[in-house]
Amino acid sequence: MLMHVVNVNKDVLKANNEIAQSNRKLLIRNRVFTMNIMGAIGSGKTTLIEEAINALGDRYRIAVIAGDVVAEMDASRFEKLGVKTVAANTGRECHLDAKLVERSLADLDLKNIDILFIENVGNLICPVDYKLGERVRVVIVSVSEGDDTVLKHPMIFKSSDLAIVNKVDISEAVDADPAKMKADIKQLKPSIPVLLTSKNDRISIDRWIEYIESYIEE
Amino acid sequence: MHEYSLACEIFETVIETADKNKAIAVNSITLEIGGLTHVSPEQLLFCLDVLSRNSIAEGAKVNVNFVPPSGECECGYRGDAGVPDKLRDEDQPSLYEYAIQTCPVCGKLLQLLGGDELMIRTIDIEI
Ligand SMILES: [Zn+2]
Repeated sequence: MLMHVVNVNKDVLKANNEIAQSNRKLLIRNRVFTMNIMGAIGSGKTTLIEEAINALGDRYRIAVIAGDVVAEMDASRFEKLGVKTVAANTGRECHLDAKLVERSLADLDLKNIDILFIENVGNLICPVDYKLGERVRVVIVSVSEGDDTVLKHPMIFKSSDLAIVNKVDISEAVDADPAKMKADIKQLKPSIPVLLTSKNDRISIDRWIEYIESYIEE
Repeated sequence: MHEYSLACEIFETVIETADKNKAIAVNSITLEIGGLTHVSPEQLLFCLDVLSRNSIAEGAKVNVNFVPPSGECECGYRGDAGVPDKLRDEDQPSLYEYAIQTCPVCGKLLQLLGGDELMIRTIDIEI
């Protein structure tokens, strides 16, 4: 009997990155601006995407990949707004991965899309380790999750390009301080823009829309 | 987290590699886990243990080495991220501690490099 050490040297997490890279190239080649929208369940991901569709839908051709663990509830909300929607069901997984997005992209007519929103599965942990091929990573945290949420999940904020503190209109009711949340995000990543939003405050929603447009015009 | 699917991928790679090398048993597997990943080693090891039952990897010892991220700063500093290399999982600094590491030279927030890997380094087989 012989003992033998075999060098494997395979990075299991980075295997995802290679597919993400090819997704990214495909999206760039087709001039599709892609945003990965991450955040906990109930943070307001769907609502903020709906607001963007309402505001930008007449000027841009928009599509959505809606990640859900099983149901297609969010997907049907987007379809009602008249945008092409692909439901990416993860089955039992807690995040979207590049392979699932690759499969979803095959169902889209990329030549006829300007903006693609990828609504990630509601979770502040797992999506961090999985790039999808997006241009911009957005993390949404609502005040109702508690104002210590940011420091409990530092890596998602470090890995994002834009952070949104949502539902600030109910801060008092849930005893959370949105200014603290913003300061915590800035401590983790000084360069990241932070928006404070509420669907009941039109000006804050307009700022979110302006941000999306500023990325497109870059 | 997603330990189960990661364990599946590791298990498949191990079995493939073992088969390719005509192994009759897998004695040990050596993994490297980056300090910035959200992988829980305990859960990963549990999943691997369950998956490898009734395979040639059953009972294989899994060694885990932790890789601390290093840091880079605008001022030119490049080195470890201020948290010493530690071997045991329970001694690993929290993600928050890593996230707020500052440059030992100028005090600015460090840019973290690496630490996001989950490597299968080697497998030790019997042929
Ligand atoms: Zn420095």
